[in-house]
Amino acid sequence: MSKQQQPALPLDFNLPRETTELTGKDQQTYLQFTSHMVTFYKQTYGELSRFFLALRAGKLLGSQCPACKQVMVPAATWHCPACNFVGMKEVYLPHRGVLAATAPITIFPSASFIGDAPFCRGYVDIARDAPAASFLPCRLQTTTGLPRPGIFVKGTEVKLVFEDDRVGSIRDIFCVPASELTREQLAKEPLLASELSFEAPKMPEVKRNAALTAVRDAAVAAMRKMAADIERSPRAQKDLGSRTHAIGVKTGGGDFGLYVANQRIRIEDALPAAADFVMVADDPQVFTRWVGDGSLTDAAVEGSLWLPNRAAFGVLPILDRLPRSVRRDVR
Amino acid sequence: MRKVGIVGAGITECRGRWVEATYWELFQMAVRRTLDDAKMKAEEIDSVVYGIYNDIFEHQAIPESALTGLLGMANKPGTRVTSGGATGFYAMRTAYMEVASGVSETVLCVGGEKATDCFDPRSQTATPMVIDTIAKSWDPFFEYPLGATASDSYMQMCMGYNDSYPGDIGDSKVRAQIVEMMCRQGNRNPFAQRREEKVTAGQVMASRWIIAPFLRLLEACMYTEGAGGIIFASEKKTREICERTGQPPIWVKGVGAANEAYATGRGSYYKPLDRIVSDRLAAERAYAMAGVKPSDIQIVELHDAFVAQLMITMGEMGFVPIGQTRRLIDDGIMADIRQLGDDKRPPKGQVLINPSGGLIFGGHFVGGSNMFSMWSLRREMINRQLELGMIHGTGAINAVFGGAMVVELDKGGVK
Repeated sequence: MSKQQQPALPLDFNLPRETTELTGKDQQTYLQFTSHMVTFYKQTYGELSRFFLALRAGKLLGSQCPACKQVMVPAATWHCPACNFVGMKEVYLPHRGVLAATAPITIFPSASFIGDAPFCRGYVDIARDAPAASFLPCRLQTTTGLPRPGIFVKGTEVKLVFEDDRVGSIRDIFCVPASELTREQLAKEPLLASELSFEAPKMPEVKRNAALTAVRDAAVAAMRKMAADIERSPRAQKDLGSRTHAIGVKTGGGDFGLYVANQRIRIEDALPAAADFVMVADDPQVFTRWVGDGSLTDAAVEGSLWLPNRAAFGVLPILDRLPRSVRRDVR
Repeated sequence: MRKVGIVGAGITECRGRWVEATYWELFQMAVRRTLDDAKMKAEEIDSVVYGIYNDIFEHQAIPESALTGLLGMANKPGTRVTSGGATGFYAMRTAYMEVASGVSETVLCVGGEKATDCFDPRSQTATPMVIDTIAKSWDPFFEYPLGATASDSYMQMCMGYNDSYPGDIGDSKVRAQIVEMMCRQGNRNPFAQRREEKVTAGQVMASRWIIAPFLRLLEACMYTEGAGGIIFASEKKTREICERTGQPPIWVKGVGAANEAYATGRGSYYKPLDRIVSDRLAAERAYAMAGVKPSDIQIVELHDAFVAQLMITMGEMGFVPIGQTRRLIDDGIMADIRQLGDDKRPPKGQVLINPSGGLIFGGHFVGGSNMFSMWSLRREMINRQLELGMIHGTGAINAVFGGAMVVELDKGGVK
């Protein structure tokens, strides 16, 4: 299905029509009903259409004031608010810029962006020759795997990349650090996403260390204890829901498999024959800390747990809930 | 303009979710308590201002229409104010202006939010949908489609500040210490959402990432359901009502506000990414109107959406130098509630910041959070005999909305 044919609202974004009971702090029974406040739009782009039509054509369009020479990109208005609303002119801008500030990486997104995390967005100074200019709000991507601290810092030179299939959306473009591209790629306008490689990065070599074998065994024992506790934890079982996963884990102290099925988890001593994905951590204590109410997500964010892709990252918040749910129900 | 006093204040308990009450009941509960505090009846109120941030939270466009009769405000003028996180401040500014202008003698300002009935069908939890509902405050053309949220937007501004002023708010230990101190303050607030929690600096630094590498879970404000009310009155009515209640008047001395541009940029009118200009301008305007300076003020209830932003705001408002806001902790400028108890003034050179526990521990029912702050400020100023105090509100993308109000304890109220 092309971008144009995707439903505006995902088909699973819904609730059954029902009225259910709740218990209040006063132990009385109260009711809640499911509902929605969804409004569909055929949202007009109006004066912004020129900017988005240019994006579709592989160009970056700004508006420039003939009086103060400031540049607005994206071209959000055609009348300069600083110069008595004088008419602004079209200006086509280079596909290069610098990050105006170090960019935040979102770990826990809003409902509409679940599955996209971790993602990074930031503001890019494009019209650097202008005496004043707005910054371009833009997605930031790296060809070296998931975004992590230290890549998108203030002053990083970036290159604008255009999606191959462009619909007329700010998501038609994103920026990549210029240092990750060849001279030819940097010179090309528009540079298309298909001309870059965002394939899963090569799995890092795990650093085996005999001294870590006992640490790995302790981590496995702690996870098996948690697996047993999940048998008695309705919250943890609800967390797992209908998910099924076979996850391979490689550590410096040895491998293991982490299976999710039937609202339970199971730890096996070997890697799954057909794993959904494989995680890598030199230090097995990443998993001991997780069971002790730590966070696999944090380990991935900070770099001590390697993941192949965004789908793998999406499983971590579910796993992160388990120690807390077990603590509340069992311990 | 006429002199304006604050004669009554009341809030609900702050809860993560109220299954026992709709926003109708929450607002009425706050109004009942506010009127009771002022020993007034609804018929003595000339006009009402509602602070309600987000129609989607209330599940009704024009939510104030349903409130009018239920609050005893039928057939009176009513104005709804919505200005993002700064809704409460702007509602109080509106109520203040209505009295100061002579249009009304008494104005009830009531704000609140029913925020966590939102529900995300895919995660089967509320939080992602609450975040999404707030994210709907960002435009549908450029910002929302990129996954903008309140957290990443405020952190973008904090990270921009950190780029320009390294070694200040970037020290997670300093931020965590502030959180620990505010936790102790929230423990004293009988209406605080997290009044039972004990959070240490170590727990803050071990809590989960929300936005890497600058925001952990325990550094962020809460989602709260609740409501709060404040009554503003003319000088004559203020003295009459305070005679009745036996409580000292609190006078509004200065009001300042500023909203920066939505678009970030370099030069011209654009929002700079490394400062909260709105907070600086709002505070300067409030000080100028009140004829005071920051060193005259020893208690502040400020809008701490995130602790790093609290530090910048304290710098913008002139309590510590910009780039050296960590002096709040390093130099002991942030007063320690353990040494002040319930009725002592901070020593000279110290400021009591968010004795309510702030929005991080007290509560953040968005449309009325700044009324929550004013409720606490008034209570603390009377109990501690502090002559001057200030509340602050911030909101919208990259903290571009800002407001500050300086108030004074009546001389006759000083023991």
